[in-house]
Amino acid sequence: MSGADFDAVVIGAGNAGLTAAATLQRAGARTLLVERHSVPGGCATSFRRGRFEFEVALHQLSGIGAEGQAFTLRPLFDELGIGDRLTWVGEPDLYRTVVPGSFDVTLPADWEGATATLDAHFPGNHARLERFFALVRDLTFWQIAAMRGTPADQVDELLFRHGLRPARDVLDEHFEDERLKAVLASYWGYLGQPPSRLPFQDLALVLFAYLEFKPWHLRGGSQAMSGAILDAFLEAGGDVRFHTAVDAILTRGGKVVGVRLDDGQEVSATDVVSNASLPLTYGMLDGLDIPGAVRTDLASRRIGVSGFVLHMGLDATPAELGFTASTTFVNTDLDADRTSASWRTREPARGICVTSYDVEPIGFAPRGATHVSLMTLQYGSAWDDVEPAAYAREKFAYAETLLDLVETVTPGIRGVIEEVDVATPLTMSRYLGHPGGAIYGYDQDATESWQFRDSELHPHVPGLHLAGSWSGMGGFQPTLEAGARVARRLLRSRTA
Amino acid sequence: MTPHHLAARFAGADRIRDEIAARTPDAVDHAARTRRTIDTYHPRRLDLRVDRVVDETPSTRTFRLRRPDGADLPPFLAGQYVGVFADGTNRPYAISSSPADLSHYDLTVRRVPGGRISSHLLDTLAAGHALTTTGPQGTFHHNPLFHGEDVVFLAGGSGVAPAMSMLREIVDRGLDRRFHLLYGSRSLDDILFRAELDALAAGHPGIRVHHVLQEPDPRWPGPTGLLTAARVTELAGPLDGRMVYVCGPQALYPYALGQLTGRLGHPRRRIRFEVNGAPADPTRQPHWPAGADPAEPVTVATRATAFRTPRGRPLLDALEDAGIRPESACRSGECGLCRVRVLKGEVHHAEEARLRLSDPDSGYAHACVAYPLTDVELDV
Repeated sequence: MSGADFDAVVIGAGNAGLTAAATLQRAGARTLLVERHSVPGGCATSFRRGRFEFEVALHQLSGIGAEGQAFTLRPLFDELGIGDRLTWVGEPDLYRTVVPGSFDVTLPADWEGATATLDAHFPGNHARLERFFALVRDLTFWQIAAMRGTPADQVDELLFRHGLRPARDVLDEHFEDERLKAVLASYWGYLGQPPSRLPFQDLALVLFAYLEFKPWHLRGGSQAMSGAILDAFLEAGGDVRFHTAVDAILTRGGKVVGVRLDDGQEVSATDVVSNASLPLTYGMLDGLDIPGAVRTDLASRRIGVSGFVLHMGLDATPAELGFTASTTFVNTDLDADRTSASWRTREPARGICVTSYDVEPIGFAPRGATHVSLMTLQYGSAWDDVEPAAYAREKFAYAETLLDLVETVTPGIRGVIEEVDVATPLTMSRYLGHPGGAIYGYDQDATESWQFRDSELHPHVPGLHLAGSWSGMGGFQPTLEAGARVARRLLRSRTA
Repeated sequence: MTPHHLAARFAGADRIRDEIAARTPDAVDHAARTRRTIDTYHPRRLDLRVDRVVDETPSTRTFRLRRPDGADLPPFLAGQYVGVFADGTNRPYAISSSPADLSHYDLTVRRVPGGRISSHLLDTLAAGHALTTTGPQGTFHHNPLFHGEDVVFLAGGSGVAPAMSMLREIVDRGLDRRFHLLYGSRSLDDILFRAELDALAAGHPGIRVHHVLQEPDPRWPGPTGLLTAARVTELAGPLDGRMVYVCGPQALYPYALGQLTGRLGHPRRRIRFEVNGAPADPTRQPHWPAGADPAEPVTVATRATAFRTPRGRPLLDALEDAGIRPESACRSGECGLCRVRVLKGEVHHAEEARLRLSDPDSGYAHACVAYPLTDVELDV
C-alpha cells in the first residue's frame, strides 16, 4: 500500500472506465473514478423527453448468450456481483435489412435459420452459405485463440489466409449475388468501415457474436448497466466524482504520480487508467513529453467516424408502424463505398440503422407508444464548414434526410412523432469529449487491427493504462471487456 | 507501435504496414480542437458582462449580456434558457433576444413576489457588472421536424420571453412560419414588449398577436379574463393539430391543459409546456404521503455536513442553504444536472421529476424536485 491518496484514478466513466474501476476496487485497490458529466456510462446512457426515455447508444449488445453458455459476457457481470441485477431482453432476429426495390430480408439470430432464410430469398446458395458461415465460425475461433497467445504453429492457417483480407473479397469468393452479399455485410455500419476496407476478421467476429450469442438489450437500457456497474464500484468502497474533469495527468521522473482535477485539486495515485481518447490522454501528460513511439503511432492513426442520431418517441405501436424486428438497416442502394464516402459530407443520408426499442420492450416508451432511433454514421469533419449560427438549421435539414429514408419502410412515421431530439457529431464530441465526436475510437480499418496496434499493452508511460475504444475495438462488448482486462493486468503488475 | 509477433504471418500484412508507414502524419492538436468545439457550442459556464439594462415595465427589466471581449455567444434555439448564478444559487431565464444575433443574450426578468433572486437581480445588477451563466439549454423550442410551420403560443406574464425570441427569429431570418401569440397580462401596465409585438404583427402577415388582460380596464377595449377554450378558439381559430406552446405562471399550466385537451380535444402531444420550477406546493400533488407535515424539519446529512430543513423544501434549495452547491440548471426536474444519490432515508419525488427507469434502483433523485420525508443521507 502506497502513501498516495488513491491506488488508482480512472479517468472517465464510460464502459471501460466503469468496468476498470469496479474491477480495481473490488480487488482492494483504492480507486477514484472521475467523470465530467452527471451520470455514468459515457455512450452507455439514456435521457428523458416527455413521456419517453431515450437510449443513447446501445443498439444490440453482443456476447450475452444463453445462461450457462460458454465464452459469454455474463461472467464479467457475475464477477462484479451484478449479474442478477440486470434484466436481459433477447431479440430473436439479427436484423431486417432493406434496399428499397432490391431486397427486404429479416435474418433470424441463429446459424440454421439464417442459412435457410437466405437460401429462400436467394435460392441456390445453401452450400455456399454453409461454407461461408463455417469460415466465420472457424476464423473467429482461431482469431480469439491467436489473440490469447496460442502458439503460431497450432493456429489454423485459415486465420492467416483470410483474417486481414477485405471482407468484400471473401464475400466475392463465396457468392455471386450482390444482394446476398449486401445482406450478409449489413453489420458493417456497426464497425464503420465498408466491406471493401473492413478486415474480414472483424465482420466474422461481429456475425459470430450475434449469431452464436444472439443480440440482446436490457430493461432500463444501457443506463441500467452503467448504473449497476457504478453501484458495484461504490458498494466495494470506491469514490466517484461527477461534474469533474481531469485537467492533467501528473508525472514525476517519467512516471505517473496522479492527476489534477479541474478545480485545481491534485490527487496522488500510483496508477491512472484513462478511458478518454488517446489524443486527449497523452495531451494531458504534465511534466513529460509524449514519448516518441507514441507520437509516431498516434500521428499514423485516423480519428474515426461519429454518428448522427434522431432519438424519437412515436405515438403508435411497433405493429402500427410496421416494425417487425428491433433492428432494421435501410440503404439507398448496394454501393457501400459511396455510402461511406458520403459520411464526410452532409449529402442526404444513404444508409440508416433503425432501432425500435419496443418490439422487445426495454421499458422506455409508455403503453401504445414506441421509442425508435434513426442513425447514420458521419464524420465530425462534415460539420467543419458550418457556422455556429447556422448549426441548428443544418442539423434539422440533415435530420429530414434520415426521416425521408425511414419513410421508405414506415410510411407516415412523421405523422406520429411525439418527441424527437437530434444528436450530431458535435453532440457526441460534447458528451464524450472525443475528437471529431468519434464513437468507435480510431477508424477501424485494417491498420487498426490488433496485429498492428498495441497501445493497450504498451502505453509507454509507467503508471498509465489505456482502456476503451481508442486502444482497442469499439462497441459495447469490446469496451466492457477492455476495462476489466486492463484492470486485471494492472492488479497483476502491482503484485508482481 | 510494435506489430504482434503473428502479424507477418497474415496475408496482406506487408501492404497494411506499408499503408501505415506511408500515411501523412496527423499534426492536428485534437485536444485543443475538441475543447474549442465544446466551448463554441456548449460551454458549462459563460462569464458575461451586463451591457445595458432596459426598463420594460415597473416590475420588469431586460438585461443585455455580452462577452467582455465582444465575441459571439454560443448558438441557441429560440425558447432556450441560461442558468444565471447569483447569491449562492442559480435560476433559469429564457433568452428573449433573437438567435440570429449572437452578439448578446437578452434576459427579461420580472420581480416575483417574494422572489429572492429576481429581486436581487433587479435591485443590484447594473450595466458593467459581471454575470456568470450556464450555456444555453432546454427543450422548449420550435422543432421543425414535427412542430409544423403554423404554431400557437399561450403566454402568461413574463412567459412571453421565449415567444419574443421565437418571433424575433421569424422576422430576422425571414422564416415562412405562422405564429399566433395569445398573451395574457394582469393589467395594461404589465404587458411586456407591447410596442414591438404590435409592430411585428402589423408588419408580418404570418405573425398575429392578441393581448388578453386578466383585469378589465377602461383604457382597454380588447378581451379580458382567462385564456379559456372559447377565447383561444375565438382568437386563434380552430387549433386543428397545430403545436401549442405554453409558458407562464405555474397556475396557467393545469388550466391551459384542461382547456386545450378537455374542452377543445387538442392532442396532448401537440402541447408543449416550458418547465417552470419546483411545484409551489408539493403537498398538493396526489402522491404526497398523507400525514407528512411539510413544515416539520428533518435532518439531511452529506459526507461533509448535516443540517435540518423542512420536509417541504426541495433538497437542492436545502443544500444551497447549507452552502453546498450541486450543479444544476433547470431547477424543474427536467435537466437532471442536480442528480443526487439517496443513501439512507426516504425522499418524495414530485411529478416534475424526469427520472430514468433505472434511477430508483440506485436511489437517484433530482434534488430540485425531491423532498426529504425522513432523515436522509445523501451522496452529493
